[in-house]
Amino acid sequence: MEIPYTVHARPDTGLYNAKIGIWLFLASEVMLFGGLFSAYIFLRVGADYPWPVWDLDVKLGLINTAVLIGSSVTVVMAWASLKLRRFGQYKLYMAITVLCAGVFMFNKSLEYSAKFKHYAVKLTDGTILTGHLPEDDHHKTIPYQVKFGDITALSLTIPVKNSAVTADPASYVVPHLEGEPKFKTADGKEIVLNAASFAELRAQALAKAAADKKDSASVQLTAVSPLKAAAKPADIFGYTETTITFRDGTVATGKLIDDKMTLLVDGIDTRAVAQPEKSLAFDQRYLAAWQPTFVANRDHHIAEFEKHFPTRDKSKSATLQKESLFLKLHSSTPPAAGEAHGNKHGAEAHAPAEGGHGHGHDYPTVVLEKNDVTFFSNFTPKLNTYYAIYFTLTGLHGLHVIAGALVLGYFLVFNGRMMREDPEHLANRVEVGGLFWHFVDLVWIFLFPLLYLL
Amino acid sequence: MSAAATTHDHAHDHAHDHAHDHHEPGFLRKYVWSTDHKVIGVQYAVSGLLFLLFGFFLMLLMRWSIAYPNLPVPAVDAIRSIPIIKDLFESMFGRWLNPDGSLNGELYNMLGAMHGTIMVFFGIVPLGFAGFVNFVMPLQIGTIDMAFPKLNMMSFWLFFVSGVLMFWSFFVGTGPVQTGWTMYSPLASTTGIGVSNVWQHGHTWWLMAMVFNISASLLGSVNVIATVINLRAKGMSWLRMPAFSWAMFVTAFLLLLAFPPLEVAALLQLSDRVFGSSFYLPTGLMEGGKHLDISGGGSPLLYQHLFWFLAHPEVYVLILPAFAILTDVIPCNARRPLWGYKPMVYSMLTLGFLSFLVWAHHMYLTGMGTMMSTYFQITTVLISVPSVILLTCLMISLWGGSIRFNTQMLFASAFLPMFGIGGLTGLPLAFAFIDLALHDTYYVIGHFHYVVAPGTIFALFAGVYHWYPKITGRFMSDKLGKLHFWPSLIGMNLLFAPMFIQGMAGFHRRWYDGGKYFENTASMSHWTTSLTHKIGAFFGLEIPDNMLSLNIVMSFGAFILALGQIPFIINFWFSIKGGKKIESDNPWNATTLEWATPTPPPHGNFLFDVNAHRGPYEYSVPGHPADFYPQWESEPGKPVPPAKSEAHAHH
Amino acid sequence: MADNVEEIQKSIKKYLWIGLILMVFTAITVWLSTVELPTHGLNILVGMIVATFKAGLVALIFMHLNHERPIIYKVLAFTAVFAIVLFVLFYFSKQDPLVFEGFYSIPE
Repeated sequence: MEIPYTVHARPDTGLYNAKIGIWLFLASEVMLFGGLFSAYIFLRVGADYPWPVWDLDVKLGLINTAVLIGSSVTVVMAWASLKLRRFGQYKLYMAITVLCAGVFMFNKSLEYSAKFKHYAVKLTDGTILTGHLPEDDHHKTIPYQVKFGDITALSLTIPVKNSAVTADPASYVVPHLEGEPKFKTADGKEIVLNAASFAELRAQALAKAAADKKDSASVQLTAVSPLKAAAKPADIFGYTETTITFRDGTVATGKLIDDKMTLLVDGIDTRAVAQPEKSLAFDQRYLAAWQPTFVANRDHHIAEFEKHFPTRDKSKSATLQKESLFLKLHSSTPPAAGEAHGNKHGAEAHAPAEGGHGHGHDYPTVVLEKNDVTFFSNFTPKLNTYYAIYFTLTGLHGLHVIAGALVLGYFLVFNGRMMREDPEHLANRVEVGGLFWHFVDLVWIFLFPLLYLL
Repeated sequence: MSAAATTHDHAHDHAHDHAHDHHEPGFLRKYVWSTDHKVIGVQYAVSGLLFLLFGFFLMLLMRWSIAYPNLPVPAVDAIRSIPIIKDLFESMFGRWLNPDGSLNGELYNMLGAMHGTIMVFFGIVPLGFAGFVNFVMPLQIGTIDMAFPKLNMMSFWLFFVSGVLMFWSFFVGTGPVQTGWTMYSPLASTTGIGVSNVWQHGHTWWLMAMVFNISASLLGSVNVIATVINLRAKGMSWLRMPAFSWAMFVTAFLLLLAFPPLEVAALLQLSDRVFGSSFYLPTGLMEGGKHLDISGGGSPLLYQHLFWFLAHPEVYVLILPAFAILTDVIPCNARRPLWGYKPMVYSMLTLGFLSFLVWAHHMYLTGMGTMMSTYFQITTVLISVPSVILLTCLMISLWGGSIRFNTQMLFASAFLPMFGIGGLTGLPLAFAFIDLALHDTYYVIGHFHYVVAPGTIFALFAGVYHWYPKITGRFMSDKLGKLHFWPSLIGMNLLFAPMFIQGMAGFHRRWYDGGKYFENTASMSHWTTSLTHKIGAFFGLEIPDNMLSLNIVMSFGAFILALGQIPFIINFWFSIKGGKKIESDNPWNATTLEWATPTPPPHGNFLFDVNAHRGPYEYSVPGHPADFYPQWESEPGKPVPPAKSEAHAHH
Repeated sequence: MADNVEEIQKSIKKYLWIGLILMVFTAITVWLSTVELPTHGLNILVGMIVATFKAGLVALIFMHLNHERPIIYKVLAFTAVFAIVLFVLFYFSKQDPLVFEGFYSIPE
């Protein structure tokens, strides 16, 4: 028993099954990306911050566009070669297509990894500083951590019923402690805190809670000698001057040593600040030395704009806003007066994004007080809605590239026998796979200008 | 249903021989990892029925809390004494109950959210759409299987995984989601975000389960559409195709094009929860007096748009299979052609098209803007036109028929007024100014439950009774069927009709105590509440003469409904072996092609070259010897289809 | 679909040309995005028109939509309508032209 019309078209519809299948699938893909693009429209129209324009690495994006278009040509050539029964050419074109997918994904990974190492910090007045975290001697990034000292006591809570937040010090506390986690229990026993020793304490505490008919059990531990702790803000719930709350609800009592953030600044974005030249970034503690450069750069761009477009509203030009109010830093000290920042539109715009590590020492270092910072993130979906939709769109597109490459690669590697014996069937397969591949290219044709250029 | 294939009719021994020529697949290949559309259909239908039962059980717990807030759930002690069930119950629900065994708001929210999700995505769609379409549609259009059998198997197993993930969410740290089946952000983006581990939160599992469920639906609908387009039998032109297959075809399009935006919504919400993005979180959002550590800049409205872009077409995904089943059940049992076949087909297409343009009538209260509201009011009123045409055509089809009131026809005829009530009570909600008052009240709950419960689910029951003989070779018991039907009808109405009254009195859908602690309810009286009070007094029960009395009526209705399902469960499982055997392959004297196959249909379905000679509803044709004229008969004198030569049958 | 040998041979040349045109228009897109038009919205519009043109070439030539079967056109037409509905309505739910100021003004 065979399903009809798997190879040859049904006369009245003129289509074989797989072709209908792929077009229907593509229709649903159109709606998938349609949903994402409409989310993009919605977020962009409703954005309450300057929407980033030319913020990504356009050069890499351009190369990737060329690679995808090239692969689109080769995949259709592969199909045509197969139709003409030129098997050698078919294999060549197919191999190039899969190779192009590899190049595309490689470029993408370069782009992503640069983003993950790049940080943005929002100050209380709306100024955004972009830059990198400092590196140690081995070029390894030193993460931003909150440091505690003199930790003398731990208070662990174990709810009897709800187990969503329950003390689990081995996973959530001990990794952040420095030195051997030796503690004394309430009854004076000395233990090294780990999963096994805690399990014992937990059982005792729960038994006690059951006896007392309480909703939660608690364990109190005293440090044998004062301990130190250091944790990324994301790894803990919160902290005060004297306490630190870990993600399992455990509260440690100690003393805050340091929660300042060190940043090698490569950009000062003052677009959301009412008086940009008085931005918090130009405070004496921070980048006061750069203020003249900032003012000179701003006035230069405004003058240029007025010269070219005397009648236009300056506040409505996204590019002018960006060029005049978003200062890019390329050295650790401000340039001498008179060195104009007359770079052409956009040419310098993507510099921070691609300035990977290794250039770290070229930027001025600031040490930011915690009180001046409202929000910080690396360039991940967390940073703002633009990067959120950027990562979602390109990530999902990347998954499609991988899926398409796998399918086409499968045809190339495993369908050799079908190529010789039933080339028409393989041609159908390649056509269907190729349709998917073209669709992936088609999505990129819209993604590239929307995310990189406009 | 493994027993299905063991029931053989002697008339079809040749079907058996036919199967022997092939390599006989093992049990697992045949019934578990099967690519046969019929087995997959039954797999879908049975899992759908099980999920319906489970969702129904959740609802019973909720109704108890509404009628008798803060009183211990009656059976809790009994359940807690059964050995294995005890542990299961404890980790699913027991750990959330109050110490005295009563429900609290937290558990009520979980039950509400999971009831909605399970009924819609895991109950009705798998049974109504996937189950029936897989089993019946390929038979009805006269083909041997779906266009992509392996894909078909894959979509079932994706659905199965999604069901397991959804079920698993009951057992994780914080329990299942508590944010309603709609999962509105920002609540759904931030609740429990503080737990030590995202995998301890039911919401993450909900989202993953939905991603699997959506993928399954997409693959399934691609398969259905491709099958209908390319695999119709000879002579089965578009307008000879039964309205059942037409409705399923349209439904598949709704799933195909409406589900991707929900996938987007789920992905973005997952990103909000896992990567800390702000798609749905506005600037300056605070929780518990603290600014959240987010960038802001997003909007909850985005979620609602993406969600309802699916969820409104989803309503038609729930109702179109019901119409599909009725277009077969009603003409067959009224012994009359379907009235208005073409208008029905065009209405279904129009309905499908318009259903994509009405979604934001669920969002009048979001302040999305006057122009948007105006637009969506217009399209919403427009879409009632094709719905009314469909219902009217079905009703007129009964006119002048000689109706056989077997169980499926009872359910089918009850569907018509019940769906009518559901539809008509929806009309006022189309207008923003009324919806502002009734939004999220029990009126809305009553409206859509009338559409999907005594509406869709009755039609699904009709379908189960109708095609059961084709699947198993045996009838379901008619007596038990009537014992199933009447309590269900009474229970449904006692359960849902009072909701309209309560809703207009302003009762909110998310009150776990049914409004007991809102003082004003004590003074609101209505003739129905007085009647309840008097009936209660007659039986010596003290029921107050206010809106709260209706809670007791509704819970009583739910209880009757629950009892009414017992005969069905017995009937369903026992008839596999114990039901009355069918005498012919066409026990209902129907005209569509699925009845031309042996019973149960073998792998490959038909034993002759299928050719559709006429339209699907040739009942009581004047001058024809029998009162039905099947699609496969070439002329009146040749009732037996010509057997196909064996050699030919294999290609 | 071009099924006979001559037609496919002819179309090979076409594919290469289209690839070249796509590359050229990509360069044009980048250049256009650096031109300061009166509003940035206009830049987006122009960019999208060029992108749509490119996408159209891919769909018509590479994906053979210039000679496809009617049922495919029907499916895609409906999909396109729904996708456009998504874009337009999402846009207008943030940019509603009918706003009655009086309704929402804060009393002084």
